Amino acid sequence: MEWLQNYFNFRIVGQYADVFVAGVGQTLWISALCLILSLIIGTFLALARMSKNPMIWRPVAGYIQFIRSTPLLIQIYIVYYGLPALLPRGYGDFFDETQTGIIALTIHTAPYMGEIIRAGIESVNRGQIEGALSVGMTPQQTLVNVTLPQAIANVMPPLLGQTAVLIKDTSLLSIIAVFELMGAGLQMFSETVIATESYVTTAVCYLGIYAMMLVLSGIVQKKLGGSAWKSN
Amino acid sequence: MEMIADKFSIVQSLWPFLLKGLWITFQISIISILCGSLIGFALGIGKTLGIYVLEKFINAYLHVLRGSPYLVQLYIIYFVLPSLGIAWLSFDSYTAAIVSLSLYTSSYVTEIVASAIIAVPNGQSEAARSVGMSKTQTYRTVIIPQALKLTIPPMASVYVIVIKSTAVLSVIGIAELTRQGEVAIMRMPGDIMFIYMLIAFFYFLYCYPVLRFSRWAEGRFGQLGDGH
Repeated sequence: MEWLQNYFNFRIVGQYADVFVAGVGQTLWISALCLILSLIIGTFLALARMSKNPMIWRPVAGYIQFIRSTPLLIQIYIVYYGLPALLPRGYGDFFDETQTGIIALTIHTAPYMGEIIRAGIESVNRGQIEGALSVGMTPQQTLVNVTLPQAIANVMPPLLGQTAVLIKDTSLLSIIAVFELMGAGLQMFSETVIATESYVTTAVCYLGIYAMMLVLSGIVQKKLGGSAWKSN
Repeated sequence: MEMIADKFSIVQSLWPFLLKGLWITFQISIISILCGSLIGFALGIGKTLGIYVLEKFINAYLHVLRGSPYLVQLYIIYFVLPSLGIAWLSFDSYTAAIVSLSLYTSSYVTEIVASAIIAVPNGQSEAARSVGMSKTQTYRTVIIPQALKLTIPPMASVYVIVIKSTAVLSVIGIAELTRQGEVAIMRMPGDIMFIYMLIAFFYFLYCYPVLRFSRWAEGRFGQLGDGH
């Protein structure tokens, strides 16, 4: 094993194992929370985007376009510096970095999720909705019990793809000093000044999370088997 | 009124720096998408040749590039490769930016080219083979011209991804648009929000037409089956 240590000193990595485990944990719960929040907001964005009223869909469309054509880093900076100014005086530091990061990432991810969910809703057979309405369901009941479950099942592959992107995007939060996996790598680098071990370990951890996502999407594929799977 | 004049003077004094940053962003994104497309095009064709080892190798390459964040890839190429002690792998920041962004782009392009080639109906290549064309001729004159048309709309969205990824390059000190904005904020710390909104506006000006083109091209050339 001596020759390997010349290239990759795993003993030092062993010393930082708990930092990386904490980093993976942070990354996972931050992305899980962002995923849930952006799915909820994304559903509302999708419904607003499909509205017939131009006063509703135009601003939402503008918001979606803005998010899609500006870099996430700039959006994080805007939330990081802009959020304290929006809060009432004296509450400027109400949200810490992690919470600010979660808000920024949710603002970024929700439109993407919304566009995917919109494609899902549009893919649901009209007959399903008409059928639900004609047996006496209210429009809300139809949406929750008939349209959305089918819509989400149909667009499961792109939703999982976007989730993988979301997990990777959390790495940018390290720039506003949020502690997560990338932050763990940066911390190790700043303390030991060895680039190889710090950054390769970080990459390996991300690849581990990605591999887990692949397994998970395989399981979901077997369980749901929505129509969109057939094209892949 | 005074506020507007104030903001206007900020814009006026920052204009040349931001324009210079936009020019660097433009340069890096164009070079990266060209190099990335070349690599991705070769790998995409390689993936469809039906050679088992090659296909597995390309899939592994794609998984590594798709499974790790671009920021980590940038750090590895900029900080880790020089420590290997091989002279030509010690990039300066500009080269590191272009190399990492090209590799990152190639992962997207490979998938697009491969799925476009698969999307060309089988009958096309069968017909070409049955009139006596060789496999190379079939690829060059029948499959690739039809597949290329299908790649145009998703390639435009990849271009937008590349443009947006260049913002990350500010962390290794490339003087592109985001970095220029950060320098401007050091000079005028009072107008952080305004300057970031201005930068966002610049990125919007660059990306939005490309996104519109992508949507137009989807109607013109047809949509590829999967959600790129």
